[in-house]
Amino acid sequence: MSETFTLVITGAPYSSQAPQTALGFAKAAVDAGHQIDRVFLYGDGVHLASALCAPPSDETHWPDEWSRFLTQHKIPGVACIASALRRGLVNETEQKRYELPSANLRAPFEIAGLGEWVEGRIKSTRTLYFHAGD
Amino acid sequence: MTDIQTLHILNKSPDHPRAARCVEMMSAEDGLLLTGNGVLLLARGNLLPGASKVFALIPDVEARGLGDLSGNVSSVDFAEMVTLSLQAQRVISW
Amino acid sequence: MTTLIMIDQPPYGAWTGREALDMAFSLAAFDQSASLLFTGPGVNWLRQTQHAGGIEQKSVEKNLAAAPIFGMDAILADRAACIAYGLDEHSLIEGVTLVDADADLLTDYDHTAFAG
Repeated sequence: MSETFTLVITGAPYSSQAPQTALGFAKAAVDAGHQIDRVFLYGDGVHLASALCAPPSDETHWPDEWSRFLTQHKIPGVACIASALRRGLVNETEQKRYELPSANLRAPFEIAGLGEWVEGRIKSTRTLYFHAGD
Repeated sequence: MTDIQTLHILNKSPDHPRAARCVEMMSAEDGLLLTGNGVLLLARGNLLPGASKVFALIPDVEARGLGDLSGNVSSVDFAEMVTLSLQAQRVISW
Repeated sequence: MTTLIMIDQPPYGAWTGREALDMAFSLAAFDQSASLLFTGPGVNWLRQTQHAGGIEQKSVEKNLAAAPIFGMDAILADRAACIAYGLDEHSLIEGVTLVDADADLLTDYDHTAFAG
């Protein structure tokens, strides 16, 4: 039977394993015929939505890996607005609103509030959290 | 696999305060899935919960050179992690 | 669906506690059943008379005091942790219920989460 998952990532790439563990889980869930209702980035996890990451070429590009996975499977990716704004992750709407020099949110991530997390929890069979390990 | 009441997913090393808290808040009907730094609990066998089923995520075990697992710990891949998360009545990510 | 949001880190030194409070208040705002459990050093969020202006942060005393009005079911604190940190009925803020944070407590909730 096909179930749905909401995945919450609170650990940043290159500071924690959270994005990697979460992607392994997400891919396995999709391969098993389940659906990912949404991926919600919270706290330091919002850094996964950065358009400006430039890791060394011999390291996995986590924002890129996640963008491609979300796009391929048409899974909504949301960065929590309160977490994102504090940490300097903004889309064009927020850039204009706060008159900031640029926008840096990587597609297909959107910015939204905790209501998205609440909704995901209500709709999904399971909600899993991927925190930093320290 | 037997029914798991609560699946506790622990990615903190044994010395992290949350690791002890997790093990303390487990019951015999629960399962413990070690991921990330959590697999280091395998190297501290005396700290493993006695009664509950324990699982460890293979890539994290192998990364840390802990492939030689003790008797009652089952190694799982991501597919099995997905299955476990659905089998349990609830999942807590510590 | 009942949710327990756990806070086990102390206030001011990190932001996960505030982020956990935001999660709990969001649940309440959407009419979802939510309770807070403070444990370990996290019980220090519940100490009276915190004046955080000097470190340029806001104390959460008022937010926690208003929690029931916002629809929060309960503010729970682990008894052993309160004892360890010298928190009793004179030093704890109002509205806190002492509990033993054990496996039985977790089975009262469909969903338990940390903010980080």
